[in-house]
Amino acid sequence: MKLAAVKPVSRVLARELAVTALLLAGVSVVVFAILYFAPGNPLHALGVREAEGMANTWPGQYAAWFGKVLRGDFGHSVRTGLPVLPELARVGLNTLYLTLGALALTAAIAVPIAVHGAAHGDTAGNTAATMAAYVLSALPVFWFGYIVVYVSIHQFGMFPLISGTATKQQHAWLYFLVPIFVLGTASGTLSEMIRHLREELSRVLAEDYIRTARAKGAPVWRHAFKEGFLIPVTEIMSAKIPFLLGGAVIVEQVFNWPGMGRMAWQAAQDRDFPVIMGVALLAAAFVRLGNLAQRVVFTAVNPRASRE
Amino acid sequence: MLLSIENLRTYFYSRSRRAFVRSVDGASLSVGRGETLGVVGESGSGKTVAALSAAGLVSGTPGVIGGRIEFNSRNLLDGLERYVQVEERDGRVMAVEKDESGWRRQVKRLMAGVRGKEIAMIFQNPRAALNPYSTVGAQLVEAIRLHTNIRNKQEAKEKALHWLERVRIDSPRLRFDNFPSGMSGGMCQRAMIAMALSAEPSLLIADEPTTGLDATIQARIVELLGELKAETGITTMLISHDISVIRRLSDRVAVMYAGTVVESGPASQVLQPKAGHPYTAALLASVPDAETIRTKSPLQAIEGEVPDTIDRPRGCRFYGRCNRVSDAVRSRCANLEPPLAEVAPGHKLRCWLHAA
Amino acid sequence: MRRYVQAETFPRFMALQRADALDLAYVGYGLLVVALVFASYLIGAFGWLPHDPRAMNVTLLNAAPFTPGHPLGTDFLGRDLQSRLILGIQAYFLPGLLAITISIVGGSVLGVLAGYRGGPLETLVTYFANLVDSFPRLVLILLVIAAFKPDIYYVMVVVGITGMPVIANLVAGKIAFLRQKSFIEAAHALGLPAHTVILKHILWLNCRAALVIQATLGMAEAILIETSLSYLGFGVQEPTPSWGNMVQAGANYFLQGNFWPSTAPALAILATILGFQLLGDGLNNILEGKRGR
Repeated sequence: MKLAAVKPVSRVLARELAVTALLLAGVSVVVFAILYFAPGNPLHALGVREAEGMANTWPGQYAAWFGKVLRGDFGHSVRTGLPVLPELARVGLNTLYLTLGALALTAAIAVPIAVHGAAHGDTAGNTAATMAAYVLSALPVFWFGYIVVYVSIHQFGMFPLISGTATKQQHAWLYFLVPIFVLGTASGTLSEMIRHLREELSRVLAEDYIRTARAKGAPVWRHAFKEGFLIPVTEIMSAKIPFLLGGAVIVEQVFNWPGMGRMAWQAAQDRDFPVIMGVALLAAAFVRLGNLAQRVVFTAVNPRASRE
Repeated sequence: MLLSIENLRTYFYSRSRRAFVRSVDGASLSVGRGETLGVVGESGSGKTVAALSAAGLVSGTPGVIGGRIEFNSRNLLDGLERYVQVEERDGRVMAVEKDESGWRRQVKRLMAGVRGKEIAMIFQNPRAALNPYSTVGAQLVEAIRLHTNIRNKQEAKEKALHWLERVRIDSPRLRFDNFPSGMSGGMCQRAMIAMALSAEPSLLIADEPTTGLDATIQARIVELLGELKAETGITTMLISHDISVIRRLSDRVAVMYAGTVVESGPASQVLQPKAGHPYTAALLASVPDAETIRTKSPLQAIEGEVPDTIDRPRGCRFYGRCNRVSDAVRSRCANLEPPLAEVAPGHKLRCWLHAA
Repeated sequence: MRRYVQAETFPRFMALQRADALDLAYVGYGLLVVALVFASYLIGAFGWLPHDPRAMNVTLLNAAPFTPGHPLGTDFLGRDLQSRLILGIQAYFLPGLLAITISIVGGSVLGVLAGYRGGPLETLVTYFANLVDSFPRLVLILLVIAAFKPDIYYVMVVVGITGMPVIANLVAGKIAFLRQKSFIEAAHALGLPAHTVILKHILWLNCRAALVIQATLGMAEAILIETSLSYLGFGVQEPTPSWGNMVQAGANYFLQGNFWPSTAPALAILATILGFQLLGDGLNNILEGKRGR
């Protein structure tokens, strides 16, 4: 497959990286601002004090704080006293599995419904599936979690509430699938995903160049793939990452899943600023990373993208 | 006759107006082997839809609902009656029941091996008609590997370059790796022509190949088509609203108006302003040519508008705009649609002024 | 098999006839939900509840629905579920209105600025939109809760701000569209003052439908957030009912097989969010002229 770039891809990617960096800087400013205006002076808890030699103005404090963040020093948890970043990195992986797994599941449900809808229109089956998707999207994920837990205990004899340390059990990996199943089904993003994918695919199928492909006797899916499938799917998946992270916070509560979300909840209860700040920064960083990855795919595929 | 369309009806249903748009409403035309049939008419006359129907590319609903399309002695609408039920009243279609998915599958069966290979089609707005995400060369190679015996990629590339040269594209090797967005409209059209002809089809359908291109480029493309026609002797169905294009390339001409053919015959006879159908005469009079430029005669616009294909009155479709109506035929023109009758060998007309 | 019939005469209410039956059903259901929510809010606000939501009745623990006197049953403490559910609406009704008001007003301002002036302002608004979208809403809210206090109104301010980009894009897009149609130029040429053009012509006449739709979707979002937060324990506290904390309180009983105390509020959440969502999407489809096949 020939890369679609006209100008060197590296130049376009450099621009995307710059935009990402700018946004991450903005993220840090927002987080800092919240900490700065918070009563109780949480910045002190993070060790950002006047004694650091910096002027006691907000830019100075921001610089000191940001410097620490960049060095990986997110402070120490008020509750446990442990350094925040290593702890978050450890549990963050679990949240990553949960979020990405659920994202994949939601996409796996959405894609067939959307493709079928675009190709065949509003059949009875498709309408029913779309309505079911609406219901699933409005379902409170925590309640759905309880149903799944109940069923898995009473029907399958599994106890998914046991935290991830249940690796001694026989079917340990199944335990990981249950929360992924819950979040993937009831994340609230399903109906939007279906709608976006179906709209985009329908739009592409009506394009002139698809008609030429048909006239040529060429397989339509091969021509519609890039614009009608690859780009919309990566677009919507990257856009929904923040929603799935939010859902992960809730699902981790239901299943006592040792992840960043549960730590964030605990931190919010204890007003443990370093931890909650760390979660916010890491979550936003992850969202932007996902977005960057999607932009890379888009640039690689789209000949006009690199034409600026 | 290589392609023979008989009494084709292709309707589209408008949900907002709860009525049928009768795009092709009983059209018959035919193309003989080796000849170029020019199909001319204003926008909305149904000429593009007729071509798409022949290629099985109609995507609207209900689409093709009646008629017969014979290509190489095969009926491309074989079995249509099994999928469509039409209710008429006073000769007007009032309701249609159609098994769309079934018919689509049938079309797939019927057109397998035909579309692209025996019937090739090129379109207007060539830049939009090529896949923007794929290089021109890749698209050409795809066509070659699909429809010729060449499987090897290197061989296919050679063949593709050969065809790019044949369509007089500049720097074929460079263009091979270009994306359509990096090429002008004229070059894209040449590439599309190359793609269509590389399969060595029996019939080429060219739907407004010059529309959307700059005027000077249009002339070049017409020139190219003429040269290719002389070189390969390919049978062509050329659709255009541009009479000069039709005149330059056609052996026979069919004039369409409001969904049906109103005149058809040898180009020399049809494109005569004197005799023939009043609509043809009006079309010719509205376009400048050598004669009118020389004599500086005023161009005549055709009064009125193309009728709404939804609510067609009875009688001749051109009645409201015809400037040759005489009292002798007026009542017939207003109430009865004239049949397509042969007035000279090979020359048919749909007009009460010429019918018996 | 599809059947197409040519109409004899033109139907009178074109928009209604043109609309898909399904979309009308969605809108109908949505309006019903909105009416119920509003009515319940008023009932709760004036305290006309059938039972005291805190009154425990140990003789009637876990009553099933349709028990005489308790149409929706009682929870594990014998408290009337109907009253609790009605009162639970207080937790999100006004805060939700706050959120959507902030989104629409703030978003419109941003959209007008970006659309009218364009250039660097537009880039700024785009940057702001991307910035806001970088945070998972719940995480940002937890940060704000930790920093300030678990006050639902603070939370809804955050929700409102995070909802601004969508509205801004909508309004800016409309302005671009109108500009392309020379509508704005014409209005200025007629001598209309800028604020009239913006308020009356752009926003009210051209954007109101889309803004209403965004408002309903925004309300659905606000309800989701409030119920999630109170489920997590950051909203209203027991014994004051909120649908989220009701589900949480009933969790243990659910796992023991007593489903109703958790399920009743969960179904209420489902039905209500669904109502607002369907209302928004249904109206959207009708307005855009849904493309069926």
